[in-house]
Order: sequence, then structure tokens, then C-alpha cells
Amino acid sequence: MITLWHYLAVSAALFGIGLVGFLTRRNLITMFLCAEMMLQAVAVNFVAFARHHGNLHGQVFVLFILAVAACEAGVALALILMLYRRGKTLDASAWQTLRELGVPPAVDTDPLPVETRGEEPRLADAGVRPEPAGEEAARV
Amino acid sequence: MSDPIGLALAILGLPLAAAVLAALLSWTKLAKAAHVPLVVACAAAAVLGVMLLLKVGEGPDYRFVSTPVTWFSAGHLTVNFTVTVDPLSSVMLAMIAFVSTWIAIFSAGYMHGDGGYGRYFAVMSLFVFSMCGLVLANNFLLLVAFWEGVGLCSYLLVGYYFEKPSAASAARKAFLVTRIGDTGFLLGIFLLWKMGNWNTDLTALFDYLKDHPPDQAELTTACLLLFCGAVGKSAQFPLYVWLPDAMEGPTPVSALIHAATMVTAGVYLLARCAPLFVMSPDAQAVVAWAGGVTALLAAFLALAQTDLKRVLAYSTVSQLGYMFLALGTGGAVSPAFAVTAAMFHLFTHAFFKALLFLSAGSVMHAMGGVIDVRKFGGLRRLMPVTHLTFLCGAAALAGVPLLSGFWSKDLILESLTGAGASGRPYATGYFVLAVVAFLTAFLTAFYTFRAYFLTFWGPERVPEEAGHHAHESPAVMTIPLVVLAAGALFAGAVAEPFTHWFSNFLGHTPSLHQAEPAEHHFDWTTAGVGTALVVAGIGLAFLWYRKGTEGEPAGLKPAFALSRNKLYVDEVYEAAVVRPAGVLAFLSKALDGFLDALARLIAAVPRFVGDLARPVQNGLVQFYALSMALGLAVFLTFVVFRVAR
Amino acid sequence: MNPFSLNPTQLAGGQIALAVLLAVVGFAALLPRPVGRRVGVGVASLVAAAAVLGVFLYTTFGSPSPDVLGTVLFYLFSAGALGFGAVLVTQRNPARGAIAFAFVVLSTCGLFLLLAAPFLMAATVIIYAGAIVVTFLFVLMLSHAGGPSDENDRSREPLFGSLAGFAFTGLVLFTLYLTRVEATAGESAHRLPVPVVTADEREKLADALTRIDAAAAGLDGDLTTNRFERLQKFEALRDAVSAVVGASPDEGGVRDGSVRARLEKAAATPGVPAVLYREDEQARGVLRRAATVRELNWATYKAVNDNLSGAKPDGAAAKAELRRLRDEVLLLAGAADLPARNVGNLGYLLYTDHLLAVELAGTLLLVATVGAVAIAHRRRGSDGPTATPKPPTPHHPA
Repeated sequence: MITLWHYLAVSAALFGIGLVGFLTRRNLITMFLCAEMMLQAVAVNFVAFARHHGNLHGQVFVLFILAVAACEAGVALALILMLYRRGKTLDASAWQTLRELGVPPAVDTDPLPVETRGEEPRLADAGVRPEPAGEEAARV
Repeated sequence: MSDPIGLALAILGLPLAAAVLAALLSWTKLAKAAHVPLVVACAAAAVLGVMLLLKVGEGPDYRFVSTPVTWFSAGHLTVNFTVTVDPLSSVMLAMIAFVSTWIAIFSAGYMHGDGGYGRYFAVMSLFVFSMCGLVLANNFLLLVAFWEGVGLCSYLLVGYYFEKPSAASAARKAFLVTRIGDTGFLLGIFLLWKMGNWNTDLTALFDYLKDHPPDQAELTTACLLLFCGAVGKSAQFPLYVWLPDAMEGPTPVSALIHAATMVTAGVYLLARCAPLFVMSPDAQAVVAWAGGVTALLAAFLALAQTDLKRVLAYSTVSQLGYMFLALGTGGAVSPAFAVTAAMFHLFTHAFFKALLFLSAGSVMHAMGGVIDVRKFGGLRRLMPVTHLTFLCGAAALAGVPLLSGFWSKDLILESLTGAGASGRPYATGYFVLAVVAFLTAFLTAFYTFRAYFLTFWGPERVPEEAGHHAHESPAVMTIPLVVLAAGALFAGAVAEPFTHWFSNFLGHTPSLHQAEPAEHHFDWTTAGVGTALVVAGIGLAFLWYRKGTEGEPAGLKPAFALSRNKLYVDEVYEAAVVRPAGVLAFLSKALDGFLDALARLIAAVPRFVGDLARPVQNGLVQFYALSMALGLAVFLTFVVFRVAR
Repeated sequence: MNPFSLNPTQLAGGQIALAVLLAVVGFAALLPRPVGRRVGVGVASLVAAAAVLGVFLYTTFGSPSPDVLGTVLFYLFSAGALGFGAVLVTQRNPARGAIAFAFVVLSTCGLFLLLAAPFLMAATVIIYAGAIVVTFLFVLMLSHAGGPSDENDRSREPLFGSLAGFAFTGLVLFTLYLTRVEATAGESAHRLPVPVVTADEREKLADALTRIDAAAAGLDGDLTTNRFERLQKFEALRDAVSAVVGASPDEGGVRDGSVRARLEKAAATPGVPAVLYREDEQARGVLRRAATVRELNWATYKAVNDNLSGAKPDGAAAKAELRRLRDEVLLLAGAADLPARNVGNLGYLLYTDHLLAVELAGTLLLVATVGAVAIAHRRRGSDGPTATPKPPTPHHPA
């Protein structure tokens, strides 16, 4: 039999994962999604309690959470858009001018890995007869 | 509008409205019309002032006090906004408004095209407002407020050309030197406040002191402290040094503020406080001696000045000393007579000195800003109107018989000889002062006509700076000159010697009222000696300067050099006051530096601690969120395990 | 099972600590960074952490359950939510993160369904579908097309961040454990509201249903033979139903069944706390239904008895009677703890008890809309190529 406590435990774990993402990830959009995930965890909590108490008040609260999440999504995405327009980056750490005077800026020391990508396939230029290559030449 | 208080408040309100309007106009495109509010307000105020004069003269009630409105109060100290109208203040008001009107009109021509046109007229309006308030105030602290108001306007107008370092420093000097006197003035007010049953209203205070005669020594102290303020504001010895420097301001300002109105505030203050001074012969003697010394000293200093405006400035100082001479005789003759003499001279002086300054301004206007009498001469054909009006003013100032200056000067000399013969204490001193006054009259006639001859006689010389300006001033400037010249010629004769209108009117002032009215007759001896001295002075000046160049005998050169160098008073002040103050300031600065270092040391400790904690504030929002979450986790751990136990 | 001779609290605490530790290690290893990312270790740690969590749940709260399907679904949806959540957090590519978030939402919607909240399930799916599509658009619009970037390939303090996040989870789990211990200890077990129909009663009613079916099957054929056995079956059936809903007055005095006893009579019984008494709409509905079943049970028995004892037994009529009873019993057995008309009741609640909150939420939405428009509005002159301020990159402090 699945009890209230099972749901509470799962929602706590979900909340923890969301919190970790919010604290560590630097992409503003990912941070926003993690915050939404924390809201989902809280919603599960409410619904489980509604079921437990045998009334619908918990579900009503979840409806309000949905409303607030919608508001949050609108405003947060607008803010992210503004920040992106100003800085041309989604990095939350790019905005650190609020620091105390005289404190050196946080700098990422490790270089980013260089992505090595093979040559992308290209079509031959139009109007030029393709040069046969390899054994194709033998067949021609 | 028949209520005298209502009239007085209207007179007070008009210039204030003009000041606001002019200030607003100066921000708009109508800045060129900034003179209109002042002229209209002053003209209206002059008309109202005459109405007020007639109203007050009707009697039988000669003192009107407005209902006191509390301005502020703290403990015993209650300061009311209240004004009083009596013959003394109504005469002052009418005079101020009248002279201001013509000077305002003159200014419109004189300042034409100047960059700070709106500012000039706004501050002038503010000055007229403050001066009217000073005259009307019936409360010592209210009076101080207006007193400082006129001081502020004086500062702003002396420093009108603030780009010039000399003007800026002159403004500062004027403000600071008068401030020395103001300190004594405030102390005197608070002493009187204590003596007078914690009253600060003038009328209530005087009434109380009349019924409860105070300690003589205390009263003398209070009177002398009040006199300090008057000395500063009216440029008496030893605080007269600011007035000649104040000529850096535009000439109409010198005419209005530093000749006709503001500098007479000290005289007016003493006249208003005459009931107090009457009770203290010692203070009266001090006032008289200070006036005498100033009159003679300033007349001597005016002898050899080459700057036309400075001659007039020293002359103003000297004439103010004359007024104080008269005020100082109040106890020896009768207060009403002394005050009448002083106020009458103030009244006539306002006309002819304003006239002289405006004429000098007209000359300066034509000469392209040059005012050194050595650089020009023989202007009488070039500027006929200015020449004639200057001559009127000079003659009135010198005391040529039948002109207004003659009558008022005669009244003062009479009060002095009367005091010398009264047999009261200090009678001998008053006799000496009478001699001083006669000597001053001679010097006055001499230096006035020296300046006149040097400027207008001899061959025509015009400085290069004048350029094409060298012609008679426009009508907007000459008409005020003519009007004021008429005043200089006839105001004295009309007001006093035949009708005694002025003395009767002023005698009605309740604070001066006495059981037996003052009797005085025209003293032919005094008048004769005075006239002889004046004629001698003018004759000497004609002898030496009629060619328009300096022609004094070689034997007198050292004396003239001494005069030109102002008796080295500024240098003495520099050595005696400024240098020691500089040393003191250096010591204070050193001590201050030590204290600062101590304070910085104390401040360094939290700064050091802050430096340790500062890297936490690194501006990364996620770092902040992480700190918050970790802190909350620690806190919740504590809570959970406390609950579990 | 307990090799270290720990007491239960220490055991639970140890399980929680182990799960948290494993989760922290897993996330610290998996979070994106330029060097030192250990995918294998991370995944293994996370799987182990999930396993430890499952064990903890089973040993602490789990009990032998007849509801196999519900249990399986619960674990399925939970694993889905947590797993896709982990993917969202650790995935470098934000577009894939958004897809993972979609699966998280679907999984929580499954949990909603298990918790009898169908309307919420639908609403969440609809709203988040829109939100995710919009977010996806943003990702496509704003992300750098190729190559590693600061925001996607770096994490801010991975170890401490994971620690802070899972510290909360651990604390909540431990608190849950403590409350569970408290709730199951003695009298205080009754503090929580009781279900309207317990599992035990449900089993009894299911048993009664099988009997009804059997009795109905026995009505086929010649009805004049084996009357006594048939009647005995009917009696057994009647008693089985009576055990749950009680007996009718005609049966020799009112006797309450277990449903009524639990929900209503408890308050009158001395020694039992009054908190047992349930008086909400749902309980009243179940009581009404139980009373209906009780009356119908007796009436059906009498009617069938008369019918079969008569000269001409009518099998079709008796079957009809039995079917009516069967429907009612089925309804009673299916009576849930929550109202059946989820949407209607939610609406009723919203517009009665929470009217002010609804208005406020509407206002909030309006304000947020206006705010979003105002913020994102592209002002003239502020955003041209020349007016764009230099991005404050960390390498070049402003």
C-alpha cells in the first residue's frame, strides 16, 4: 500500500534535485526549468496531502501554484530575454557587477574543451562536374 | 486699504512678489523685461508710502502695531511676526520706496544688455523687500532676519560680477566684516531679552524698560552691543573698511544699498532704540565719539582718492559718522531733537548721495567702465545733464546754503553745539566733537569739489576704453538724475527749516515723545561759521583743481599720500588681525590633522575586518543562493535534531 | 537484516545519509564542467542512491500491499520524475534539458492521477505543454549554435551545491521517518483521519460480490429443486453484506455495520478520541450509501426468499433483484476518499472558500502579463547595435 509518506519522500527528492540544479547550473533557462521542477515537487506534496485529508483544498492550492508558475514563466522569460539582449549570453555568472568594491571578479580558470568536429559533408558546387574519386575513377 | 498696517504689509509684499517674478522671468525668454516688476513694485510702494505717511500724520494715534503672530517659540523665547508703523518707520519707508523707484529706472538703462539682468533685478527686489521689512519689524529677531537679508543681498550684489576676483573678495569682506558687528548685535538682543522680562517685541520691551528702569551698567552694555551691530552695518570706525571695497558692485547698487538705504540701517536702529540710549549717557558718548572719529577720518581718507566712487564711498562713511554724532547727543539735548537731526540728515543724504552715485555711474557708463578721475576730465560739455546733476549733488553734500545738505548739516551742528553748552556730563567732549564736525564740514566741501573739478573742468580728456560710448547717457538714466537732483536741491528746504514739518512729524513718534517739545531756533552763528568753512573748502578746491588736474601744493603731498593709502589701515589690520589669525588657523589645522589621523586609525580597524569579509560579496547571485541554502540547511539540521531528541 | 545491531532510528538515519551521500557524489560527478566529469561513476552513484532510497521507503513505510498495480505505477512514475529530473540538471544541452523537464512533468502528472487528481493532471499537462514549447523556443533562439559555452559547460560549486540541495532532502526524509514513528506508536495512530472505506471492508464487499455472482449463477435451471441450499446461499450473502453495512430493524433490532461504527459511533464510545469522528461531505455520502445498501440488502433477501419459496419461482425477477443489490454494493465498495466529481467539486471550492484567492491570482496574472510586456519591450535607441552596452564578461570586469 502506497502511503502519504511515499509521496512526500519522492517530492522531497524531486525538490532536492531541482535545488541542486538551481544552485549549480549557470544557464538561465536551465535554472528557470529547475525552479519549475521545485514547484512540481511542492505540487505533488499538496496533492498527496489532499488525498490524505480527503478534501480538495490541497488541489486548489496546486491550481494557484499553476497560476503563479505561469506568471513566473512570463516574467522570468522576459527578464532572460532582456539580459540576453544586453550581454549576448545566458550565463548567470556574467552579471556580477553587484560585487563589493575591490573584490576581483570571479574568473573561470579551466579552459573550455575544444570541440573537434569532422568536416561537414558538402555538396559539390553547382555547374561543375564532380571529380570522380577513388575507385570510382576506375569505373568511369 | 486705509488701514496703516494693511498699507505697510502691502508695501512689504510688493517687492517680494517682484523678486519672485523677476527670478521666474530670468528663466524665460522675457529676461529682458526683468526690470519691470521691480520698477512697478517700487513705484506702487512709493505711492502707498506717501499714503501711509499722510495716514500716520493725521493722528491722533501715531503708533500702529500689527497683531503678533508667533513665528517660533522655545522656552522663554517667543518670536512674533509683527510690524509697527509710526512716523519714524513711515518716513523711512516712503524714502526707501521713492529712491528705489528712480534707482530701479536708472538700473534698467545702466544694466542694459548685461548677462545677469534677471538675477540683478531679482536680488534688487529682494533687497527692497528686506529693507522694508527691517524698517517695519517690531521684533528684534524678526529685525535680525531682515538685517541679515539685506546683508545677503548686499553680498550678492557686491559680488554681482563674481567672475572678477576683486569683486568676489570684496563681497566676502563686506559680509564677514559686518558679521563681526552682528555678533555683538545678537548678544545685545539677548541681553535685552533677559533684561526686558523675556520680551523680544520692540514696543513691549521698551514699555517694560520704561516702567522698570534696569541696572545702568547692564543697560550701557546692552546699548553698546547694539551699537556694535550698527557700527558693522553702517561702516563706522573701526569696521568701515568694507564699504569702499563694496564699490566693486554695479554703481546703482552702490547708490541704493551703500549710500541711501542699507548702510543707514544702523542709524535707523539707533533711532528706533533711542529710548534705551537716552537712559545711558555713557553709551551716548561712545556713539558720538565713534561718529566723530569716523566722520573726520573718512573725510581725510576721501581727500586724495582718485577713484570717483571711492571718494563717494568715504564720503558716505563720513556722513554716516555725522548721523551718529547727532544720535550721540540725544541725552544731552533732547532725544527727539537728536533723532530728528540724524534722520533728517539721513533723509537728505539719501537724495544727494544716490544722485552723486548715479551721476558717477553715468560718467562710468560713458567712460566705458573707467572711474579713475586722473584718466578723464572736462566732461561738462560732453555730458551736460550729468554735469549739472552732479554739481547739484556735490553742492548739497558740501552744504552750500539753502540746499538740502545745508539744512540737515546745520541741524546736526546745532545739536552738537547745544550739547556742548548743555552742562550735562561729557559736555566738554561734545564741544570738541562740534569742532571736529566743523572741520569735517570743511574737508567735505573740499574733497567733493575736488572730485567735481577733476571730473568736469579743464580740457576734455576721454580714456580709450570709452570708445564711441563717450556721450550723454540715455533718457532712462538722466531722468532719474534730474528727479533726484530736484530732491537734493529742495527736499531739505521744503521739509524742515520753514515749516518744521519733519521735526514735528517725527516728534510724534511715541518712543521719542516728551513732555516738553524740543525747541530749537535757527542759530545764525552756527550757520555762519559752517557756511564760511564750506566756502573756504570750495574755494581751495577751485584754486587747486580748476584746471582738471591735480594741483595741490608740494608741502601737502605727504598728507595726500597718507590719505591715498588709506592711512595704512588695511595694512595695520593685516598685521594685527589677519596674520595672528593665520597662525592660529595653522595651529588648529595641525591639531585637526592629528585628531583626523586618530579617527582614521580607529576607522582602519573595521575597514581591516571588512577587508577580510569582503570577498564573500563577489556579485555572483548563485553564490549568494548557495550560501543561503547552506545556511538554511545548517539551521534546519539543528532544528530537526533538537526536535528528534 | 541488521548486521550492525543498530536501533531503528540509526538504521533509518544511516540509510538516508547513505542515499544523500551517493546522490551528492553522483551529481558532483555528473554536473557539467570542462575537466574531470565522470559520467560512469555519476550514473552508478545515482542509481545506487535511488536504490537506497527505495529500500528506505520500503523498510520504513512499506507494507504488504494488495494493490500491486498502484505500487508498481507509483514506483514507475517516481523513478521517472527523479530520473528525468537528474537528466535535466546534469544535461549540458539545454534543449535536451527542456525535453527531460517535459518527462518530469508527465511523470508528476502520473502521480497526480494516482492521487485522484485528474483535473490537475490535465491542467498541468496543458499549461506545461505551452510553457515547455515556449521555453524550447527560447532555447533555440538564444543558445549558441555550436561549441562549448560558459553557461552550459560550467557549474557553480558542483560539490557544495549538491550538498546544499540534498541536505534538504535528507532532512525532510528524516523528519518523515520521525513523524511516521510517532504516527504508528500506540494511540496517536488515530490522529490522522480514517478512510471512509477501509481495505478490510473493501475485501469483505468484494467477497460479498463474488457471493452475489455465485447466487445469481445458481438461479439458472429448475428453481423448484435444491431450494434449501439456494436459500442458504442467500442467507450467507445477506450476512456478508450485513457485516459491513449493518442490519435492518426488521431483522431484530438495528445493528450497525463497521462503516457506520467507525465513522459515526466512535464519538459516543467512551475511551476513543473524538478526532475519529468524520463529518465531512464525503463521509456523510458514504453513510447514506451504506444505509441504502442495508435496506436494500434486507429487502432483496425478503423478495428473493418469497419468490423462491412460492409456488412459481421466477428466476428472471430474482436475478433482477440481485443485480440491483450488486450495483449498490459495488458503488459502496468503490466509494473513494475524495469526491468523485473532481472538476465540479474543485470549481465549487474555488468559487466559495477561495474566491478572494482566485481574484488575487487573476490580478497577479494580469500584472505579470503587463510586466512581461513592459520588460521585454524593445525600446527605441536602447537596443541598436551601437547602443548595446558591452557585455560584462567575467574576464573583463566593468
